[in-house]
This record gives sequence, C-alpha cells and structure tokens, in this order.
Amino acid sequence: MTGATTDGQSTSLGYMRRTPGGVLLTLLTLIAAATWFFPIYWAVMTSLRSDSDTVTDFGLIPANPTLEGYIFDIVHSELPIWYLNSTITSVGVTVAVVFMSACTGFAISQLRFPGRMLLWWTILASFMVPVTALIVNHFIIMANVKLLNTHLGIILPMLISPVTVIVYKQFFDGLPKEFREAAVMDGATELQVFLRVFLPMNWGVTTALAIITFIGSWNAFLWPFLVSQDEKMMTVTVGITAVQDAFGVAFGRVLAGAVLASLPVALAYLLFQRRVTQAIALSAGIKG
Amino acid sequence: MASVELSQITKTFGAHDVIRGIDLTVDDGSFCALLGPSGCGKSTLLRMIAGLETVSGGTVRIGGADVTQAEPKSRGVAMVFQSYALYPHLTVADNIAFSLSLAGTSKAVRAEKVAKVASMLRLGELLDRRPAQLSGGQRQRVAIGRALVRDPKVFLFDEPLSNLDALLRVQMRLELAKLHSDLGSTMVYVTHDQVEAMTLADKIVVLDKGAISQVGTPWELYNRPANRFVAGFIGSPAMNFLRGTARMAAGGIAVTLQGGVTLTLPARATQDFVGDRPVELGIRPEHVSVASGTGAQLSGRSAVVEYLGNTSYVYVDTPQGSVIAEAAGARGLQSGSPVGLSLNLSEAHLFDESGRVLAAASV
Repeated sequence: MTGATTDGQSTSLGYMRRTPGGVLLTLLTLIAAATWFFPIYWAVMTSLRSDSDTVTDFGLIPANPTLEGYIFDIVHSELPIWYLNSTITSVGVTVAVVFMSACTGFAISQLRFPGRMLLWWTILASFMVPVTALIVNHFIIMANVKLLNTHLGIILPMLISPVTVIVYKQFFDGLPKEFREAAVMDGATELQVFLRVFLPMNWGVTTALAIITFIGSWNAFLWPFLVSQDEKMMTVTVGITAVQDAFGVAFGRVLAGAVLASLPVALAYLLFQRRVTQAIALSAGIKG
Repeated sequence: MASVELSQITKTFGAHDVIRGIDLTVDDGSFCALLGPSGCGKSTLLRMIAGLETVSGGTVRIGGADVTQAEPKSRGVAMVFQSYALYPHLTVADNIAFSLSLAGTSKAVRAEKVAKVASMLRLGELLDRRPAQLSGGQRQRVAIGRALVRDPKVFLFDEPLSNLDALLRVQMRLELAKLHSDLGSTMVYVTHDQVEAMTLADKIVVLDKGAISQVGTPWELYNRPANRFVAGFIGSPAMNFLRGTARMAAGGIAVTLQGGVTLTLPARATQDFVGDRPVELGIRPEHVSVASGTGAQLSGRSAVVEYLGNTSYVYVDTPQGSVIAEAAGARGLQSGSPVGLSLNLSEAHLFDESGRVLAAASV
C-alpha cells in the first residue's frame, strides 16, 4: 500500500488494519487485563468504605467514601513500625544480596581457584531445593542462635539468591577479557578490577537486580511471618494479618493496610518500570 | 627504555606446544614486529612478555631483570589491545589517568600528565567524552595515551590497527611511527599485516607454528628470505614458486622446470650439491615481465588481469604452474590471451625440499 490513503491516515501505519481476528484478540486482552485489575480496584475501593459499608455497599464507586480505614491503621496499629521493619529488612537484604551476588559472580567468572566449579554447581543445584523446604531448618538455626524476632533473623535466610549470582556470572562472562587484562596491566588488584571496572560497567544490571530483590523481599511473607512473633518486629506484610486478627472481619481496615503495604512496591514499579522489566528478562531464562 | 630478552621460551596448553623454544633479543629503543599468520603464537608471545600469560619454560628479561614470574604491573610494560579495552564508564581523561589513580597519584599530577599525553596525541578536545562517543581512530589514540601515561620501559601492541578501516590504518601507522621516533621507546608490535610490519619495524620476527622462522630487517626478509615460508608470507602478491630439478652447471645453476624448460640462474653463493636435486624456484611478480618472441622464457595463457592503477598483475597459467607477473603495460591484455613471460633470474631464489633457501637472489 503506497501513497496517501483516502481517509488521511499515515501510509506508514497502513498495514495496521482491523481484522476480525485482531479485534477478538484485543477483546480477549482487555478481558484478561480487567480480570487481573479488578481485585486491585476492588481492594482500593473497599479500603475507602466504612466497616459497615463494606458489607452493604457493593457499587463500583463507594457511596460514602472515607479514609477511616487508613487513619485507623496509621494511628491505632503498629503500621509505622512495620513499615520501618520492612524498610530495614528489605534494604538490608537488597544491599547484601546484590553485593554478595556480584562478588560471587565475579569470582566464579573471572578468578581461577580450587573448588570454583564445585561452588558453581552447588549454586546451580540450590535451585532444586525450594526455600519452603528449608524453612524449618532456618527456623531452628535462627532459634538456636537467638535471632528470632530480630532484623538479622529476618534478613539472613533471605540472602540465599542463586538467580542473582547466575545473572552476574553470565554478565561478567560476556565481558571481553581485555577489560580485566587492561586493568591488571594498569596495576589493579582483583578487588580493584571488581570495584572500579566490572561493577561500574554493569550499573544497569545492578540497578535492575536491586529493584527486583527489593520488591521480592518487601513482599516476602512466609519467613518473616514465622520468625517475627513479636508485633513490634513484624514487617508490613505480616502486620496487616495482625490487623485482621485483632479486629475480626474489618475489611476496610485490612484492605487499607494491604494498599499501604503494597504502596512502596507499586511506586518502585512505576518509577523503575523499565529496569524491573529488564531484571525479569535477565532472570527469565534461569527461572524457567 | 629497556631491552627485551627471551631465552628458550616455551608455552604449552595441555599437550599442545604453542611456543617452541624461542630465543629473541629486542634491542633498547627498537621497534620490533612479531609477524605471522593466525595461530602462529605471536599474540601468546606478546602476552608472555606482558605477564598476562604464564611461561611454561625459559626466561623473560626486561632491562636486564628477570621478570619471568613478575606481575604484569611490576614489569614496566604497557599494552595496547586490539579491542582498545577502554573502560566505557569512564571519560577519556579518566581512562588515561586510570593507572595513575590506582597508584594513588595526586589529582594535580594526574591532571598534568593527562594534559601532556592529550596534547601529544591531539586528544585535548575529547577529554570529557566517553569511549562510545569517539571514532575508531580516536579510541585508538586514547588506548595509546593510556599506555603512554605510565611512562613504560616497553610498549606492547597487540594488532592495534586491525579494527580500523584502510584509510585510518595508514594514518595511524604514520602516527605510531612518529610516536616511536619522538619517544625512542622499545616497542613490540604484533601484527599479521606485513605492510604494517614492513613500514613500522626496524626488526621483524616472522613466526610459524610457534617457532621463529626468520629474524631480520624488512629489507632482509623481503630480499633474503631464509626459507620458503618467509618468502611466501612476505610480499603481496606472493612470490611465485615453480617446481623443478637443479644441478650445478658452468656459470650458474641450471634448473629444469616441469615441461622441460631449463633456466640457468647466475652463479651465486649456494650450498654445494652433486647431481640433480629437487627444488622450488621462487621469484617475485615484479621480477617477471610480459615478453614476446625470443625474450619469453615461459609461455602460457592469462587467466586474470588485475588493474591497480599504478600497475597491473597478470595471472598466467603455464605448463610449469601458475605465475603472477607485474605488467605495467598490460592494458591490452585480455583473459585467455596467450602471454610470454620473461624472468629476471638474478632475482630468483632456490629452495630445497625442506623449504630452506639453497641459493638466495644475487641482489
């Protein structure tokens, strides 16, 4: 199709014609998107209803919108402390996982030392063991070293992250060996090669992995739920279940807590959408 | 500045001998090219001088000191890589100053040294750019600057021009030659491009399968090749080789080629031999000309005529084998037309069955 079209549309997009198959596909996509989005929408709308309205008002828009659920959570629960706990543990896990994974990936990729391949195969093999299968062991170890109800107790078992090690190793494998050799010729030690050449060359990957690790650790539930029995040591994801327990079926408050809990993750995703997508793409081939 | 001495250097990868007992001295201040085909071990040898590759046997001395087991940074050498290996996250200035910054040099000294190198390599305008914003030639100059700023005793170049286009390569070749003449430093330069080696180096080491085939000046390698490999590798188009049988004759060496044509090479220094001996006669295309009538020693049909502007090359199929002749006036020649060839036999070389030179040209 060449030349100007009679309806005045751009010729470069002339091939984008509406076909019955295309229309059907678009409709199916819209239905899928709506199905995925509706629970989130409903949670937000319910959080804006009073406790009595949550069981009487089923309109798409709240008839008497109120922030009382949010106010209650912020004022009468430990939400600010849970937020702080979540921030401490998530930032701690993110920094530690990214740094240790980068170090390990660099060592396996660039250094030659006895047991290197054994270490690599161990990391690969750790995929075969689901974290939930180790959770009882983790709990006993943490209890024995008296780290239950501590930030460190929440953080330590969450540092097992073979995916990030593999992503880093793959990235470092792909760098031409001349970068390292040039740095060595310039007088760099291995640590300087890592910190001043390899790591800065890969800020994009590091940022992407940091964001996805942060989101993962913020959303983590099972381990923090087990290890933090003291209400003051709970993370926000665990804490909102306490709201439910304390006030029965107070859907407005519970869902207001859920919305508040997911706010940082939603913000992180909105701000760093491209990096998150990149991180998922980087680890997609590994996670399977 | 320092000399480089290699003594009985060997390198083995598993059961594979990559470098086989190399003895070589690169004099202080000289420009030495390691030349050879892909896989001959020239880059491995350079990396062993740099300390990036361990040595399986032998010793490496730089400036008289044994550095065989020394770290690369302790050898006083700087290397320019084929891929430049510029750090993409650093600016040109930071790339050049990287080694100084690792050594803890003060900012003021760093800035001064970077400015000096930048002015020498005309990089002043580019100091704030990143490598991705530079052209190939500019990147190459930054890579040289990074080596230069360390003030090394020996410069090592690993095929530094191979990623540049033909025009830029010529330009950078001239800049390297000027740099060597200005600095007077010892330079070891790996290349597979004989033109680079011939134009830049005062000493060329031709490597073949991990061993030195010949060491000499560009003139010696071109005019006095020690063996068939060097004779065939140096020169473009390559030397013609014609199989035949040689015997000592009055006034020279008579060589009977396939097809019964006998050529008599003028008397020259040669190994004595008795009776007939299988040989290969080697003669460069510029010593073969198109001739007619009684002036023609060989005859055949032209297969291809290459017109290069300043000269032409005619590829002639003869009963003795394929022969390339330089023919300045070959404009009228067509593919397939009969051609007579005249050989300047005083410029011919004879090689024995093992490939060693039996009788060099009398130039």
